[in-house]
Amino acid sequence: MLKEVFMPKLSSTMEVGTLLEWFKEEGESVEVGEPLFEIMTDKINIEVESYDEGILLKKYYDVEDEIPVNEIVAFIGESNDKAPDTPPAAGNVEQSEEEVVAEEVVSQEEVTTSEEFNGNVRATPAARRVARENNLSIATVQGTGENGRIHKQDVVDELNTKSSKLVTPLAGKIAADQGIDTGSIQGTGARGKVVKQDVLGQQTSSVQETVELERIKLKGLRKAVADKMLQSASSIPHVTLTTDVDMSKAIEVRKALLPTIEAQTGYRVSYTEIIMKATACVLKNHPRVNASLIDNEIVMNQAINLGLAVAVEDGLIVPSVPNVDKAGLAELTTVSKELGAKARNNKLTPDEMRGSTFTISNLGMYAIDGFTPIINAPETAILGVGRIVEKAVVIEHVVEVRPMMVLSLSFDHRAIDGAPAAAFLTELKERLENPWTLLV
Amino acid sequence: MEQTKTLKLVPELSDEKLKGLYQQMWLIRYFDEQVDQFFAKGLIHGTTHLAVGQEATAAGACALLSDEDKITSTHRGHGHSIAKGGRVDKMMAELFGRTTGYCKGKGGSMHIADLDKGNLGAMGIVGGGIPLAVGSALTAHMKKLDYVTVCFFGDGASNEGSFHEAVNMASIWDLPVVFFCENNQYGMSGNVSEMTNVEHIADRSAAYGIPGVVVDGNDIIEVINATYEATERARRGEGPTLIEAKTYRWKGHSKSDAKKYRTREEEKDWRDNRDPIKRFKEDLLEAGIATEDELETIKQAAKQEMDEAVEFAQNSPMPSLDELLTDVYA
Amino acid sequence: MREITYLEAVREAMSIEMRKNNDVFLMGEDIGVYGGAFGVSRGMIEEFGPERIRNTPISEAGIAGAAVGSALTGMRPIMELQFSDFITIALDQIVNQAAKLRYMYGGKGKVPMVVRTPSGSGTGAAAQHSQSLEAWVTHIPGLKVVQPSTAYDAKGLLKAAMDDDNPVIFYEHKLLYKTSSEVPEEEYSIPLGKADVKREGTDITIVATAIMVHKALEAAAELEKEGISVEVVDPRTLVPLDTETIIESVAKTGHLVVVHEAVKRGGFGGEIASMIAESEAFDYLDAPIKRLGGVETPIPYNPELEKAAIPQVPDIVNAVKETLTKKAVAK
Repeated sequence: MLKEVFMPKLSSTMEVGTLLEWFKEEGESVEVGEPLFEIMTDKINIEVESYDEGILLKKYYDVEDEIPVNEIVAFIGESNDKAPDTPPAAGNVEQSEEEVVAEEVVSQEEVTTSEEFNGNVRATPAARRVARENNLSIATVQGTGENGRIHKQDVVDELNTKSSKLVTPLAGKIAADQGIDTGSIQGTGARGKVVKQDVLGQQTSSVQETVELERIKLKGLRKAVADKMLQSASSIPHVTLTTDVDMSKAIEVRKALLPTIEAQTGYRVSYTEIIMKATACVLKNHPRVNASLIDNEIVMNQAINLGLAVAVEDGLIVPSVPNVDKAGLAELTTVSKELGAKARNNKLTPDEMRGSTFTISNLGMYAIDGFTPIINAPETAILGVGRIVEKAVVIEHVVEVRPMMVLSLSFDHRAIDGAPAAAFLTELKERLENPWTLLV
Repeated sequence: MEQTKTLKLVPELSDEKLKGLYQQMWLIRYFDEQVDQFFAKGLIHGTTHLAVGQEATAAGACALLSDEDKITSTHRGHGHSIAKGGRVDKMMAELFGRTTGYCKGKGGSMHIADLDKGNLGAMGIVGGGIPLAVGSALTAHMKKLDYVTVCFFGDGASNEGSFHEAVNMASIWDLPVVFFCENNQYGMSGNVSEMTNVEHIADRSAAYGIPGVVVDGNDIIEVINATYEATERARRGEGPTLIEAKTYRWKGHSKSDAKKYRTREEEKDWRDNRDPIKRFKEDLLEAGIATEDELETIKQAAKQEMDEAVEFAQNSPMPSLDELLTDVYA
Repeated sequence: MREITYLEAVREAMSIEMRKNNDVFLMGEDIGVYGGAFGVSRGMIEEFGPERIRNTPISEAGIAGAAVGSALTGMRPIMELQFSDFITIALDQIVNQAAKLRYMYGGKGKVPMVVRTPSGSGTGAAAQHSQSLEAWVTHIPGLKVVQPSTAYDAKGLLKAAMDDDNPVIFYEHKLLYKTSSEVPEEEYSIPLGKADVKREGTDITIVATAIMVHKALEAAAELEKEGISVEVVDPRTLVPLDTETIIESVAKTGHLVVVHEAVKRGGFGGEIASMIAESEAFDYLDAPIKRLGGVETPIPYNPELEKAAIPQVPDIVNAVKETLTKKAVAK
């Protein structure tokens, strides 16, 4: 009997997984629990293990392919079983009722896209001719005919869309002056609008045409980060507030607790944990800032789980530290350090990346004061932490030198307005300047 | 039905004409024997049907026909073609598939036609030429032309529907056609006595209200006389006649025939005792029309003609591939 | 201009030719005083006499063979085959002799004959008297095949067929005999191999033959009300086929529906569809080609069943809409 191997859905936001490596070849035997292949989700790399034993009969995807969740990736079976040449439609996996509904919606959408038959795009000869004459890849055209068949009109529509490319007036003028065809420029503005920079970039690249530049394909984690950032930056109206925090007392607290915590956990408590603790306490008073915006609904999260942005090789991963408001600094330190290490070693489990309600991005180890962090959707706010540096500040009419730190709060203006966001940041500043209040 | 049996010629034929017929019979025999050898050696491809032993029917039936008169022929048609004035060099070239052949190499053994000489062509479909002969006679009738059409067919074809339809139509319209059945005893392997329940094929004429005549097909004098009477009747507008000439093919039906359906004794009897050429030679000698030496010279002339025909055929050009697409439509 | 029926047009074409050319004669079953099974030759024996309006025995093979033989020897016979179903009996002479003699003989001789024969269903004559077997003969090199759809075409095409030096199979649809159109009194010839655009349009091409031309035109009128512009092409002769006109039309419209009464399987529609697929019009196709033809059964007797066995106007309308699905939905 054929047993399907499908792309697992490893997080609520995961829609596709990128195949990184196959561990088995067709014809090899597979045990239950043996790793079959490794994938990259929008959050992590993970090895997918076999649920069945048997022989890996058929693999439908290659490394670097992006595979939708629940799509059949391979078949396992007996040696005399025959797997189909093309992967059957997904859907034979067990699903909850809700997911089934969602699946149906997806498959209806698929009907209207250009279905492939044996790897070929379904298109009429006329559509192919027009595409060929215009150097347009037929595969990029959305078919509106039966079974997603691409008709001539679809190609014409696609060509019209391309030719009516959005161009800013300034970019258009520069392009006209320089004799550059804006139609051939990839726009980086909203909805692909060609902006001044795109045209100038085009000029530069024209000049540098002879130089062989290294080109790195967006793939894997880089692609996941890119997609997520683009999605967040282009769809969320960001507003960033900044404030200076006097960290004198916080430094004292850290110094005092450092030996105790290190003795207890083996880890050195850092400002990050102190800031996390303070943030969690303040979030309790400002539940709106701890909310998520999902499908036009503001979801008021009960738990306070803090995402911790961790830089890894060519990417960014955000493990989630759960229930920060309920944890002591020792526990927080342990969890944070362990998650950070796992993230850097690519060992995070999906659960460890799920469920953050607010994220902290700390660039304090660099010579950075303030910045404008991008929200980790569907969260509605993110805190950017800068370095602690001694600055001259005026305190009660006297100039004093104090260790200062800039906090930058970006928030989603669809969910949170300026005043409540400012109130949150103000309270956070006060808590960090008077850390004993965290004991209350 | 009347049975004509005379050693005397009814029409008047010159000695030269008779000696010419003797030469023609040898030419027919040499031609088919030569073809037999070429097939055996693989020099000619396809298939062929030989009329060795049947020389008297073809030569006798056509003896008095002019170039205006028509014949329709059969798959066993080399003899008819020669008797109707066909040239053996062009025939042999056709069998070799050359451009100089009667059909430019497109027809082969079974479809030799020479419209200028009144040979409307050989038909590979058994019985296929019989209605066609009626059509030819219809033209003569409607255009009030003097020619007659002699329709050759075999004992086997007389069991085809086309035979009965055609003879009936010719009869009701009194058309100038002679249905000349060469009964060589076998339709491929089927002996005539197993395939029909009448004693003579000619008996079938009664069903269509026309005369039926049985002759010894290996006696050229009998064949000439019967055909002469039938053609004269046709020219007078009195309608068709069915002649049955009893004969025997010495060779098999076609090139791959083990002849299991008949005995060696039967074949030997026909060869030794009823050879049509030998009989005609005896007649000519007895009647003092020619001497032994003269007849030997005539025979050698036929051989000579045949040898030249082979040389002509073998030295003729093959058709170009362009020829493939020509002549489909007029 | 005066209107005459298709039947009268056929008769008129023959009569005009027979008055001029003594080599032309008509031969067939019951064509004399009876006037032919459908009355096409009515009155002709009175004018031309029994020699040239030659009533025959019921001997299709014999008649066909006599036609071949007389054509080969200088006449220009017209053979009336009483029902086109009976071609089965005459086929040896038509396929093995008429079509091939000239080629077999290396270009000598010619067979200028016309086989006129009524075809098609719709008369309740059931399975052995209602077939449309034209695809059979189109398969034979050496034959030409004509299928007129109007009285005008019938007269002009029959003249061309009689003038042609090759055997021509001339199909007359029984249900068209009583249809009328404007037909000039004088003689005229429509060349074999020239299609006729019976209606111009821009959205879709229907190639239809014989009676289906009229059904296609009806369908086109109906579709026009919905804003669909249909071009109807009548090939008129299947051999030779005017591929140019059909290709041009399909390249223009990008859509093709082929309609004939003959059974769809192995029907001539397949030939037209293949021809288009091989032609430059392929690149202009914006939907799969659709073929409509008779269902794969013998023609039944019951009138409702008989109707259901062959394409009708609503079938053509639906086929067009299916082919134009996108446009139909958009409008």
